[in-house]
Amino acid sequence: MASPPTEYDGQKSIGGAVPRFSWGSSLAILIILGLAGWSYYGTQFDILDLLTNTEPASRFVSEMFPPDFSLATLQATGQGVLETFHMSFLGALIGAIVAFPLAALGTRNIETVGASRSEKIVRAVPYHAARFVLNVFRSVPDILWALVFVVALGLGPFPGTLALAVHSAGVLGKLYSETLEAVPSRPVEALASTGADGFQSFLFGMLPQGMSNFTSLTLYQWECNIRSATILGFVGAGGIGQQILISMNLFDYPKVATLVGATVIVVLVVDRFSASVRKRITD
Amino acid sequence: MWTNRRESLTSSPPNNRLEIKRVSVAFGRNLALDDVSFVIEASERVAVIGTSGAGKSTLFRAITRDIGVSGEVRLGGKEIHSLSKRGLREARGLIGRIHQSYNLVPQLPAGVNAALGDVGEMGKTRTLRTFLIGPEAALAKRVEAAMERVGLAGMSATKTANLSGGQQQRVAVARLLVQKPGLILADEPFAAVDPVTTERVLDALLELNGGGASLLVSLHDVELAKRFPRVVALKEGRVAYDGSPESLSKEKLNDIYDGDMETNPKESDEPDEPTGPDVTRLKGQDGISAH
Repeated sequence: MASPPTEYDGQKSIGGAVPRFSWGSSLAILIILGLAGWSYYGTQFDILDLLTNTEPASRFVSEMFPPDFSLATLQATGQGVLETFHMSFLGALIGAIVAFPLAALGTRNIETVGASRSEKIVRAVPYHAARFVLNVFRSVPDILWALVFVVALGLGPFPGTLALAVHSAGVLGKLYSETLEAVPSRPVEALASTGADGFQSFLFGMLPQGMSNFTSLTLYQWECNIRSATILGFVGAGGIGQQILISMNLFDYPKVATLVGATVIVVLVVDRFSASVRKRITD
Repeated sequence: MWTNRRESLTSSPPNNRLEIKRVSVAFGRNLALDDVSFVIEASERVAVIGTSGAGKSTLFRAITRDIGVSGEVRLGGKEIHSLSKRGLREARGLIGRIHQSYNLVPQLPAGVNAALGDVGEMGKTRTLRTFLIGPEAALAKRVEAAMERVGLAGMSATKTANLSGGQQQRVAVARLLVQKPGLILADEPFAAVDPVTTERVLDALLELNGGGASLLVSLHDVELAKRFPRVVALKEGRVAYDGSPESLSKEKLNDIYDGDMETNPKESDEPDEPTGPDVTRLKGQDGISAH
C-alpha cells in the first residue's frame, strides 16, 4: 500500500543563498557588533558633530578658491607631480625586481614526496628566510620606512623612493609567492614527473602561469605608490606632498587647491591607465 | 646510472621493465591501492581498466613518485621510491606521461610545450636558452617533426590555450614523441577527445611502443582496452584481473564494474573475440612486443 504523500518542504531541505542560522554565525555577528560599538566609543565617533559644526571646514574650503594658477605655482605643481610620478614608478620597479627572487624562494616547494626529514628542513630554510624578509618589508608602513630613510639620507625624493621600493618589495613578494602557489599545479607536476628539476618546473610551469598576474599586481602596486608618494612628502621624503605641507604651513590655501587638484588628476590618470592595461592582460 | 634514453629505444634494453611489488597507497583512512603487484616487461602494452576511484590514476602517480607508497616500484631494476633526487629525475626522464586533462602549460607556445619533452636532458644553459629564445635548431627540428606527425604542422608558435582540447592532446603526444620515453603512462588519454584524435593519439603511442617503449594506458572504454594484448583491472585498489582480453569474460567485467557493465555504453554485446575493424587487435598479438 502506498504511503500517504508528504508535503515537500523545500525551505528546510535546500535553503536559500543566505547561510542558515547557526550558533557559530550568530556568535560571529555578535562579535562584529561588539567590536563596532567598542571602536565607536574608542574613537569618539560623532556624526552629528560633523554635520552641525561645518563652519571651520567650509571656511577652509572657501579660502582655497579660486585656486592659484600663477606661473610659479604651476611650475611648482608640475615639478611636484613629476617627482611623485618618478618616485612611484621607480619604487614599484625596484620593488618588483627585489620581490621576484624573494617570492621564488618564498614559494612552497610542491615536491617533497620521498624527501628525508633533513632534506625537508634544508629546503625549508630559504623558504622561511625569504618569507621573514618579505614580512619585515611589508609590515613596516611605507611612511615609517620614509622616516628611517630621511633620517639616514636627508630630505628629498631619494629616501621616499627607497621607502616605496622596500614596502613594494614586501607587498609584491607576498602577492607573487601567493600567485605562484595558486597556479594550477598539474602542468607543473607533469613537468616534474617527466624529469624536470625544480628550476625547470619553476621556469616553464609556474612562471608562465603566474606572469599575467605578476604584471597586473605590479601595475596595481604602482597605483598604490602614486597615492603613497603624495603622503611621503609630509615627512620630507619629496614629491608633491612636501609642497602641499609647505603651502599648508604658509596658509597658502589657493596653492594647496592647485596642488591637491593636480594630485587627484595624476592619481586618476594612473589608475585608469593601469586598470586598462591590467584588464587587457588578464582578459 | 641509467643508460642513455635514445640508445635504449633502439636496442630495447631491459631498463624499461616496470615491477610493481606489493604497493599500497592510503589517503587518510582510505586505501587507494591495496597490495598491488604486477610486472610490465620492456615494450609491453597494457591497458588498465576499472571504475572511477578504482585506483588507476593513483597507480600512475605511485609509479612516478608523485605520492608516497608502501611497497616497491622498480623501473629497470631501480626502486623509484628509494632514489635520490638526482636519481629520481633521471628515472622520470625515462617516463613519458599523457593525461586526460593534457596538463600542458596553456600560456606557452605549443612548440615549447612539445620541446619540454626534452626537459630532462637540458642543462641549465639549454634550459635558459629554451626559456628565453626557444629551443636550439636540433631540438626545434625534432619538435617540428613531432608536431607534423600529430597533424599540427605549422602550429608550433600558436599559444597552447588557443588550441582545442583535441589539439592540446596532440601537443601532449608531440611532447612524448620528442621525449622518446622508455615507459609511457597514459592516464585516460582518450576521455576528452574525439574518435579521430583518439586514433591519431593511439597511432603515435603505438609508434613509440614499436620503438621499444612500454605502454601502460588507463581506459574507461573496455572495448578499446580489449585491443591491448594484456588487460589489468583494478577494483577498490586491488588487482581484480590480469590477463589477456580473451579471458576477460562478461561475468568478470560485471564483477569489476559492480554489475554496471549491463548498462555501460562503452561495452558492446559483441563476442569477446574481436571481429570488426573497430575492435581490431593492436599489432603485436603476443602481448609482449609490437616488433
